[in-house]
Amino acid sequence: MGLIPDFKKIATRSPWIYRINAGSCNGCDVEMATTALIPRYDIERLGCQYCGSPKHADIVLISGPLTVRVKDAVLRMYEEIPDPKVTVAVGVCPISGGIFRESYAVLAPIDQYIPIDVNVPGCPPRPQAIIAGVAKAIEIWRERL
Amino acid sequence: MSNQIAILLAVLLFPGGVFALVFGLAMKGVDRRVAARLQSRVGPPLLQPFFDIVKLGFKRTMVPAAANETVFLYTPLVGVVSMLIAAALVPITSVYAPDAAIGNLLVLLYLLMIPGIVLMIAGSASGSPYGAIGFSREMALMIAYEGPLVLIAAAVAIRTGLGLGGWATFSLNDIIAYQQAHGSFLFDPVMWPAVAAFCFFYPANLGIVPFDIPEAETEVLEGPLLEYSGPVLALFKIMSALKKVVVLSLGIALFFPAAPAGIVGGFLVWLIKMAVLMLVGITAVRLSMGRMRIDQAFVFFLKWPLLLAVASLAVVVVV
Ligand code: SF4
Repeated sequence: MGLIPDFKKIATRSPWIYRINAGSCNGCDVEMATTALIPRYDIERLGCQYCGSPKHADIVLISGPLTVRVKDAVLRMYEEIPDPKVTVAVGVCPISGGIFRESYAVLAPIDQYIPIDVNVPGCPPRPQAIIAGVAKAIEIWRERL
Repeated sequence: MSNQIAILLAVLLFPGGVFALVFGLAMKGVDRRVAARLQSRVGPPLLQPFFDIVKLGFKRTMVPAAANETVFLYTPLVGVVSMLIAAALVPITSVYAPDAAIGNLLVLLYLLMIPGIVLMIAGSASGSPYGAIGFSREMALMIAYEGPLVLIAAAVAIRTGLGLGGWATFSLNDIIAYQQAHGSFLFDPVMWPAVAAFCFFYPANLGIVPFDIPEAETEVLEGPLLEYSGPVLALFKIMSALKKVVVLSLGIALFFPAAPAGIVGGFLVWLIKMAVLMLVGITAVRLSMGRMRIDQAFVFFLKWPLLLAVASLAVVVVV
């Protein structure tokens, strides 16, 4: 019995990350790509890995205010991610709509549709903040495993 | 009876089974770490591939509505088992010699084809269009690289066979014994075309960057693996780790088995050769190249490796 918690601890060292762009202006996506790709912020050291398929993902990073047009696609994609998963909202857009908040084409806040676990505010947030958000998401994920 | 037990142990413990699995995953860890260092990153912990496998064990397996469930879930098992058996076929000089009943190059060639076929079946069983693209690319690539591989194997077999006074020998033990006695094929100019062709073959067989076309994650979202999640995906990772050990070890056995007598010495030399092959042949190549298009790779394989392989066969038969 004592083995299972150990294995869970090991498992949390391998969070795979998937990005969903819910109508973002691309600013947040650039920041996210930077956090992963630039040597300076290398998040592979946390065991993270960007994956191409939602079915491989553990931690979902959502950016953008959820526009009306992408809503169905985003919800479907979210469903495709196997449990246990953790959602991180990146940028101020998913929280309130940010600079798009008064638009008729925007459905923010995003947590009306998708349960959000960690919010990383900023427009766009700094890479350090995104990494901190991922680290927090890993902690939440550990409890869900 | 003891024969069968020995084979079973070889498949389950060493050099197949547990050993090949741990070794393959560890190689992957070193590969990722070194790659990170070469890009001046910190990189993941060395045990990262093990963490990944454990993690996948905790995830839920989803079967897409369009998939054929039985085929979807059980084909990866076939791949893993085939690679476990294949690992038990490859000799390691002065450490391990496969039982004469199974240590056959031809059997190994067939077993080596299975992971590719498993990927194709898995991709098409998943019912996903990306899986189907992965299927067709994998098939094209296999057609391209299997030809040279068979010719390389034939060249080695005939060279050994002629040397031993027969025609062709497909026994891996004989091939190694011949090279131990007469010098490795790596230093035999007659065999150089075959060595070169093998160097082209194995990145394609292992799906490493210039030839990782069927699973390109930026184009077809990992193709056949797209729909897999949880423990079944872990089986695919295990399969590719095992395959890496088998193919590299086969390369060593075919061309450069020279090693001192004694288990410890033999094993250390094997380890060093594996490490060099992996770092030079996989990590460095993977980092310094971009991905080819499938048509480019196909034409490439039908040109150079095939030519080299044919040349090697011709030279071996004539000389
Ligand atoms: S938070 Fe700012 S940078 Fe990020 S998607 Fe919204 S507008 Fe763009």
